Amino acid sequence: MHIIEEIKKNELVRNPSEIQKICLDKLKLNPLPNIKSELWRLSNKSKFSSFLDFSNINKESRMSLPYKNISPNIIRLIIGENSSINLEEETYSIRKLKDSEIIKYIKKNISNFDQNDHWSDLLNHCLSSKSNILGLNISGNQVPPIEIFSSSSSECFNAKTLILFCEKNCKVDLLQINIGNKNSSLSQSTYLCLEENTTINHGVVSYGEKKSNLLNSLNVIQKEKSNYSLGSIHFKFNYARFEIRINQLKGAAKTTIKGIQITKKNDQIATYTKIKFNGPNGFVDQINKSLADDKSHAIFEGAIIVPKVAQKTNASQLSRNLLISRHAKIDTKPQLEIIADDVKCKHGATISQLNEEELFYMRSRGLTLAEASKLQLSSYFKEIIECIPISKDRWDLLDVLLQEN
Amino acid sequence: MQTKTKELDPILEVNNLFASTEDLPILKGVTISVNPGEIHAIMGRNGCGKSTLSKIIAGHPSYKITKGEIKFTGQDIKSLEPEERAQSGIFLGFQYPIEIPGVSNLEFLRVATNARRKFLKKEELDTFDFEDLVREKLDLVKMDSAFLSRSINQGFSGGEKKRNEILQMALLEPKIAILDETDSGLDIDALRIVASGIKKISNENTGIILITHYQRLLEEIKPDYVHVMSDGQIIKTGESDLALELEKHGYEWTDNFTKEF
Amino acid sequence: MVNQNLVKGVVSEPYKYGFVTDIETEKISKGLNENTIRLISAKKEEPEFLLNFRLNAFRKWQKMEEPNWADLGYKEIDYQDIIYYSAPKQKEKISSLDEVDPKLLETFDKLGIPLTEQKKLTNVAVDAVFDSVSIATTFRKELAEHGVIFCSISEAVKDYSDLIEKYLGSVVPANDNYFAALNSAVFSDGSFVYIPKGVKCPMDLSSYFRINSGDSGQFERTLIIAEESSSVSYLEGCTAPMFDTNTLHAAVVELIALDDSSIKYSTVQNWYAGNEEGVGGIFNFVTKRGKCLGKRSKISWSQVETGSAITWKYPSCLLLGEESVGEFYSVALTNNLQQADTGTKMIHIGPKTKSTIVSKGISAGNSVNSYRGLVKMGSKASGSRNYSQCDSMLIGDQASANTFPYIQSQQPNSEIEHEASTCRISEDQLFYLQSRGIEFEEAVSMMVSGFCRDVFNQLPMEFAAEADKLLSLKLEGSVG
Repeated sequence: MHIIEEIKKNELVRNPSEIQKICLDKLKLNPLPNIKSELWRLSNKSKFSSFLDFSNINKESRMSLPYKNISPNIIRLIIGENSSINLEEETYSIRKLKDSEIIKYIKKNISNFDQNDHWSDLLNHCLSSKSNILGLNISGNQVPPIEIFSSSSSECFNAKTLILFCEKNCKVDLLQINIGNKNSSLSQSTYLCLEENTTINHGVVSYGEKKSNLLNSLNVIQKEKSNYSLGSIHFKFNYARFEIRINQLKGAAKTTIKGIQITKKNDQIATYTKIKFNGPNGFVDQINKSLADDKSHAIFEGAIIVPKVAQKTNASQLSRNLLISRHAKIDTKPQLEIIADDVKCKHGATISQLNEEELFYMRSRGLTLAEASKLQLSSYFKEIIECIPISKDRWDLLDVLLQEN
Repeated sequence: MQTKTKELDPILEVNNLFASTEDLPILKGVTISVNPGEIHAIMGRNGCGKSTLSKIIAGHPSYKITKGEIKFTGQDIKSLEPEERAQSGIFLGFQYPIEIPGVSNLEFLRVATNARRKFLKKEELDTFDFEDLVREKLDLVKMDSAFLSRSINQGFSGGEKKRNEILQMALLEPKIAILDETDSGLDIDALRIVASGIKKISNENTGIILITHYQRLLEEIKPDYVHVMSDGQIIKTGESDLALELEKHGYEWTDNFTKEF
Repeated sequence: MVNQNLVKGVVSEPYKYGFVTDIETEKISKGLNENTIRLISAKKEEPEFLLNFRLNAFRKWQKMEEPNWADLGYKEIDYQDIIYYSAPKQKEKISSLDEVDPKLLETFDKLGIPLTEQKKLTNVAVDAVFDSVSIATTFRKELAEHGVIFCSISEAVKDYSDLIEKYLGSVVPANDNYFAALNSAVFSDGSFVYIPKGVKCPMDLSSYFRINSGDSGQFERTLIIAEESSSVSYLEGCTAPMFDTNTLHAAVVELIALDDSSIKYSTVQNWYAGNEEGVGGIFNFVTKRGKCLGKRSKISWSQVETGSAITWKYPSCLLLGEESVGEFYSVALTNNLQQADTGTKMIHIGPKTKSTIVSKGISAGNSVNSYRGLVKMGSKASGSRNYSQCDSMLIGDQASANTFPYIQSQQPNSEIEHEASTCRISEDQLFYLQSRGIEFEEAVSMMVSGFCRDVFNQLPMEFAAEADKLLSLKLEGSVG
């Protein structure tokens, strides 16, 4: 855990920025999350430690993008590279946040952070240098789709931060693509603020190469009448954690989350979600799927918190899991914490394998077992992937990636 | 509104009733009087206040009476709880009988029947005596005894729910029954079963209010009076032929009526 | 709107088992050390293996930390301020019920558990435990004719020491958890049941636990062994007087089911829950576990938990035998400042094992009611299945209901299904019942027992009626 040692010795970052200083000080006292806590207890210790075992921090090589931008309509940004943007159009605007705005925002957030809950963000802010923080302010209802890339370089630990403000009545499709290169670690922290009446269709596609690690933290704040929809997919990481925190500030907002994680070989991928309603009439519909093969381990822990103020909340959480190898492992824990009495909350979880009857039916029509399984799996993915705002040409690539071993 | 004068006192008198829910006025001065042995029909479009009137008479807590009075056998019942009204002989047949999972239909019927019997100073029935009674009444609505072991209305078809309502009416022997769209969602056979059940239960001492959109039920059970309701008021009252006219002309015909009193 | 406060008002009922029996007791002094344990063991004239078992557990306990993961809020327990042995003074050897202090018989009479020959319950054999000792066991002769052993564990230690030595601690090891270790060190009495091969126990067996002293803890221990092709239904009831101090109850129950046998274990727990301000009440920290050792064996837990200030209890099944079955049916009602953290663990180890979990939590007042359960499919549990259903009902807007299902699978050829929901008593359902003349209180209690029906259906007949009555009592009270 090279990084932790350096933090302790105060030697990690030369000339730290104000934010970095605050976070380094916080972590110096207590550099690791509590591994016994619910959030971390299932994390594989040696993988977690390999995630932190890099001495090259933020050493940048130019990112090679997985596909060309063939549609001029899409705005494409790469965190840490060409991220300068200022567009003032008739029907929308995209403005880069000023450094002072970014600092103010992050500082405000850090002050409320619990060391354990937000450890991932604290680590990110320690390591994410100014050039690796992208801040955007978006307004208008005809914003073109935005793609934001984030990647780690081989033999490196990279930390990248995205902050995105959506002004009132704004509507946007946002696709985040996180790529881990061979033997690397990526820490990605994202903050989305949805003002009243905004709609974000958010996609997160994260995949890595051999021995890559990812710590992906997503913080969403929703004001009333906002509509946030997330479709996410995580696959091909030695070790990955996707942490989602949704806060409906005053309730009365709509949240839809559909995510899938695919683990193979010796991978461990985990999704943690915490959805909190701080006002009445909130809505959430969540499905998380896992597919675990080989000797891998997939984890889902989701909490829905409905305090007394959140009357008339309507929440549903489903965890659907496929375990297709005898040596793989799945842990799931969907949980409800409710104090309000006038609410509709339900959750469900299943762990099973591919439906044998269906497989048999297809095989009796001449498909091979492999073909039938593939068909079943793609229908299993489909429900999630349909929610990712991603165009057809990109989907083909995703399809290829998903089929790879 | 004055109905046929009889020597008997009316069972139910609603006088100039105004009511609202969540500050939205629904009833705007309803007057109706039901004597023993009479069958009244209240007709009108969706949202005219028919169902509200029935729920208010039964004491639904969501509605607030802002003016007027409801008298049952001469007593003002405004301050009575729903169960007290039911025990004293007011029965509401719901348009959409609610499902109550886990609560056994048989047990529910027994407790309700005994509450009514207690009020009538009749002996309460134990499980065995009650089963005898309920089997006898089941026949009235052509229901299978398998219904009894299920949870209240759970998984019942629309027709089964309505028949369950009439079964309850038969057991509780109310003085007045208000049947809210008991005919909706029934096929013709089920409608006949329900109608004949209602006819068998009623007699010269009971009053019935049928709330309906259609003439259909009224062909089976001929009302003495027909009231047309619109926007929280009764705008026309006539005898059973009024229903036929309504059927012929449609509700638009009533748009020209003004309140008659 | 239905006045939810009204509903809330219905859920309080004074505790009616709160009396104290004035009887001379023999207590040892407060505090816990090796000498206390030697003293308890000596008083019970125990064989050496048991003293060693106790001392071993005590040494382990000393090194353990009190668990805090369930987020239960309570004042720290001072383990040196508890009396670990308290027994009503009686004649040395009691040969028949006539020699039992009439005050004790009267106590159990008042609790609805008559023990005397004339009045004893038919069809149910009862073992009555008062503080630290077993007072009487009914129907022993009748049971003996079938080869069934039903006696206090202290007697079993003397008379069937080979069985005790073989099975005690085999399901819940002494160092399993903090409270189990404490129990293993200091357990006083409890029940022992042995059903021989091929015997269907001719009547229900029942233990009734009564805490009488305010400053002593109750640490009973129950061991039930069902040999091949045997079956038994066992019931357990509990009450305690009202004290304004908290009393610790840390029991251990071990069940062992061999090939084709079945054990049904039902509990109605109504320990004193403390008053409306949360003063007093029992801390109910209990470890219950069954081992389905044999093929096609079955262990079924059903519980109705209405009492105790704090309940911390997870009756569990280790499903080792092929095609063995585990079941858990639970109703937990909390009111005022009660806290309940209860659920089960279904550990599927053998192939083709099955488990079912049905949990119903009702929280009212300022109480916290949590379901916490673990379902685990081990790598050899091919063809196994689990189905869980956890429903919560909230009464009033100060109560909280939590659901924490831990689900883990290492076996692709197995299925786990979990469902949970939260509801409250709906206004329309209440109105429907009221409009048929059913009183408000009765309507609420009908809905609550309707909500619990899936679980009540699993209880033995006598118990189901008692549980229903208990819930309606809890739901009875001042309707304003």
